[in-house]
Amino acid sequence: MPSQEPKADSIKYGLLKFIDITGFKVFDPVVRLCFGEEPQKQLGQIGRFMIVPVIFVFCCMMLWAYVAPRHKTKSGEVPDPTQVWGALVVNDTLHKRENEKEADFLLTGEARTKKIAEVETLLKAKEAEAKTLKETIPEIAASVQSDIDASLAPVQKKYDELKATHKQEVDARKEKIKALAQSVANNEASNEQLIALLREDSVAKKEARETQKAIKEQIAAINDNPPKVLKNTQLQYSSIENEVQHLKKRLDYLNSGNRGQKVEKAEQAVVSAQEKLDAAEEPAAILAAAKSVVKGKEKVERITSQKYPRRATIWFQVWRSLFTVFIGFVLAAAIAIPVGIMCGLNKVVMACLTPLISVFKPVSPVVWLLIFQIVVGAFFPNPETHPLFVFASSLPWIGGLKVNPAMVYSACTVAMCAVWPALVNTALGVSSIDQDHLNVAKVLKLGLWARLTKIIIPSSLPLIFAGLRISLGVGWMVLIAAEALSSSDGLGKYVWDEYQNGSSQTFANIIFACFVVGIIGFFLDRIMIILQRSVSFGDGAATV
Amino acid sequence: MSKNERRYVEIANLTKAYPNPFGKDIEVVKDFNMILRKGEIVSVIGHSGCGKSTVLTMVAGLNEISSGSLVVDGREVSGPGPDRAVVFQSPCLLPWMTSLENVMLGVKQVFPHGTKAERKQICEYYLNLVGLADSMHKYPGEMSGGMQQRVGIARAIALKPQVLLLDEPFGRLDSLTRMDLQDVVLEILDREKITTMVITHDVDEAIYMSDRVCMMTNGPEATVGQIIDVPFARPRLRQDVLDDRHYYDFRFSLIAFLEKQEHAKEAHVKAVKERLTRTSSEAGTAATVSV
Repeated sequence: MPSQEPKADSIKYGLLKFIDITGFKVFDPVVRLCFGEEPQKQLGQIGRFMIVPVIFVFCCMMLWAYVAPRHKTKSGEVPDPTQVWGALVVNDTLHKRENEKEADFLLTGEARTKKIAEVETLLKAKEAEAKTLKETIPEIAASVQSDIDASLAPVQKKYDELKATHKQEVDARKEKIKALAQSVANNEASNEQLIALLREDSVAKKEARETQKAIKEQIAAINDNPPKVLKNTQLQYSSIENEVQHLKKRLDYLNSGNRGQKVEKAEQAVVSAQEKLDAAEEPAAILAAAKSVVKGKEKVERITSQKYPRRATIWFQVWRSLFTVFIGFVLAAAIAIPVGIMCGLNKVVMACLTPLISVFKPVSPVVWLLIFQIVVGAFFPNPETHPLFVFASSLPWIGGLKVNPAMVYSACTVAMCAVWPALVNTALGVSSIDQDHLNVAKVLKLGLWARLTKIIIPSSLPLIFAGLRISLGVGWMVLIAAEALSSSDGLGKYVWDEYQNGSSQTFANIIFACFVVGIIGFFLDRIMIILQRSVSFGDGAATV
Repeated sequence: MSKNERRYVEIANLTKAYPNPFGKDIEVVKDFNMILRKGEIVSVIGHSGCGKSTVLTMVAGLNEISSGSLVVDGREVSGPGPDRAVVFQSPCLLPWMTSLENVMLGVKQVFPHGTKAERKQICEYYLNLVGLADSMHKYPGEMSGGMQQRVGIARAIALKPQVLLLDEPFGRLDSLTRMDLQDVVLEILDREKITTMVITHDVDEAIYMSDRVCMMTNGPEATVGQIIDVPFARPRLRQDVLDDRHYYDFRFSLIAFLEKQEHAKEAHVKAVKERLTRTSSEAGTAATVSV
C-alpha cells in the first residue's frame, strides 16, 4: 500500500537517529536491512563490522578458556569463562535468597502460614533428593574405586619395587663402606678413597629420594583427582544441601525469627507483665512489675522497627558504588563548572589556579583517600547519631544503601580526582568562544548574566560535557580503588574481600566483578555521550 | 535640516595604529574624515586589505580607536553599543537559538521596559520585513546562508539603531541572493531612514545602494581618496538605475580610481623593494668592511 510507505520510513529514520544518538552505530545496517534497503551492501557491512568482531571476541574467549586452566596459582587454577559465568549465577542466587529471606522476615498473618506450608513441602522434596544423592555417592565412589585402584596399582607397584631396590643398594653400599673403613685402619687403603666412596653414597641416596618423590606425587595426583562422575555428583549434592540449608533458614525466618512473631511474643510478655502489675499489692512488687512493663514495651518498639540484616550481595554493591560515584561526580561538576567558567573568563583567575591545578592533578587517588579519611572523618565523631546519616537512612531508596563516613570520603576522593578534566575542559570551552559571538554580545551590550547564560555557557556546553564524560570515567575507576582501600561497601570492597578469601571460587568472583565494573563503566560513558550529543548544536558537535 | 541632522555622524581624523616592536607604529588607517547626513547611505569601497573593515569596526566600537573622534548626533561616542548596529560578513547568529530568539536577544536589551508580547511583536515585525515569516522558529543550522543573513539584518534593524553598519554584508552570498538582499535592505532603509555605512568591494553594489560612494586609498596609511555623489533619486529600481545613461560613466570613474590605486600600490611595492635591496647590500658591504 502506498500510504504505508512514509510511515515505515519515519519509523526507520527514527530508529536510525536513535541508534546514532546512543552511539550504537554498529546496528545501523541491521535496521536498514530490516527495512529492505540495499541488502547486499548492508550484509557486507554486517559481515565486516559485526560478524568479524564477534568472531574475534569469541576467539579471545577460546584463548582464555585454553590458557586459564594451565596456569596454577596459590588459589587454584585461573578460572575459565564457564567458571566466571558460574560466579554470576552463584552471586545472583545469593541475592535472590537474601530477597526471599527478607520477605519471609516481614511476612505476617495468613500469607505467612501459607508460605510456611509451601517452604516445608519444598524442603521435604529437597531433603529427599539430597538423601538419595548422598546414598549414591558411596556407590559411585565404590564403582569408581576400582578404576582408581586399577590406575593406582602399577604406580604403587613401581614405587614398592623402587623402594626395595633402593634399600638393597643402600645396604650394599653400607657393607662396602664398612669394609673400606676396615682396610683404611689396616693401612691398606687411603683416606681419600673412603671420602670419595662416602660422597658417592650421599649422591646416590639423594637421587633415590628424588625418584621416589616423583612417583609419590603421581600417586597423590590420582588420589586428589577423582573421576568426573564422582566430582560432579559431589558438587550436585553440595548445591542441593546448600539449598536445603537455605530453606531451613527461611523456615526459621518464617517462624521464630519472623518479625511479626517476635513482636507478638513481646506483646504477650507485656500483657502478662500488666496482669502481674494489676495483681501486685506490695510496693516493691508493684515497682518491679511496672519496670518489667516498661522494659517489655521498649522491647516491642525495638523489634517493630527492626530491619532484616541483609548480607551485602553483588547487586547491592553495584547500587552502592553507583550512588557513591554519582555523589562524587555531582560534587566534582558543581565545583568544576563554575570555577572553570571563571578561569576561562578571567586570565588572572586562571593564573591563580594554574599552580593548584598542575600540582594537585597528578596526585594519586590513594593519597587523596587517606587525606579525606582523616579530614572528613573528623566531621563525624559519632556517625550513628550524625544528622546527615540519620537523614540519609530515613530516605526511601538511599536508606538501604547504608550511607556512612566511608562512603562520604570515597565520594570525596572521586570528586577530587574527577574535578580536573571537567575544570580544564570548561576553561578551554569558555576561553575558546567564537570571537563573532563575543562581538554580538559587545554590540548588544549584554550584561554579565545574559552573556553567561545566552552566549558563554551554551557555546561551551559541548566541551563542558566532553570534560564531564572524562570525569565520570576517571571517577568510576578511582571509586573502585577507593572502596577497596577504605572498605566502604561497593564493588571495590567486594573485590578486596574476595581477594582476601583466596579460594578458586573467589578468584572467579573477582573476574566476574571485573566484568561488572567494565560493563557499568561502558554504560556510564554511553549516557554521557548521549548527554553530550543532546547539547551539541549543528555539525559543530565537539567530539573530544 | 538642523545642524545635528546635517552633521549626524562625524568621523574626524580616525587613525588606527598597531605597535611595531622594531620601529615606528604601523598606521593602517590614517586621518579618515567623513560626515554623514541623517538617513544617508554611504558606501565605502576599496581594495581588499585597504582598511575598510578597520574603519567600520572602529566606528562600531569593536576596534580601539588610536586617535581621532567619532560624534553621533552631537555626542561623542566610544566603545560598542546597540545605537550602532552591525551586520557582519558572516551572519554571526547564535546556533543554539531560533531566529526569533536571536532577534529577541537584542530587542530585550533595547526595550527593557516592554512586555514580553510587545517585544515578540517587534521581533516578528522585523523578521517579517526581511521575508522570514515562515522561519521564525528555525535554528540557523536549518537555514541557508541567505536566510541566516536576513536574520542578521533583522537583528540589527530591530535595535532601532542611530547608525547601521554593514560590513560586506552580502560578500559570502551568490549573486542572485545578493541582489535579493540588496533590495530587501534598501526597502527597509527607505522606510526607516537609518543612517548607514556599507563596506563593500563590489562597484555595482556601491552605486546601487548608496547616496555617496567613498573610495579609499590603499594602505598602509589608508584614507579617504575621493567621495562621489550618486545622483539617482531614492527609492530606486534596479532596472532604472542600470538603464540610466550616467550609470556606466559612473561605474567607469569608480573602476578607474581603483585601478589607479592598484598601480600606485605596485609602484609603492616596487619602490620599497628597491629601497630594501639597497639597504641590505649597503649592510652587506658594511659587514665585509667590519670583517
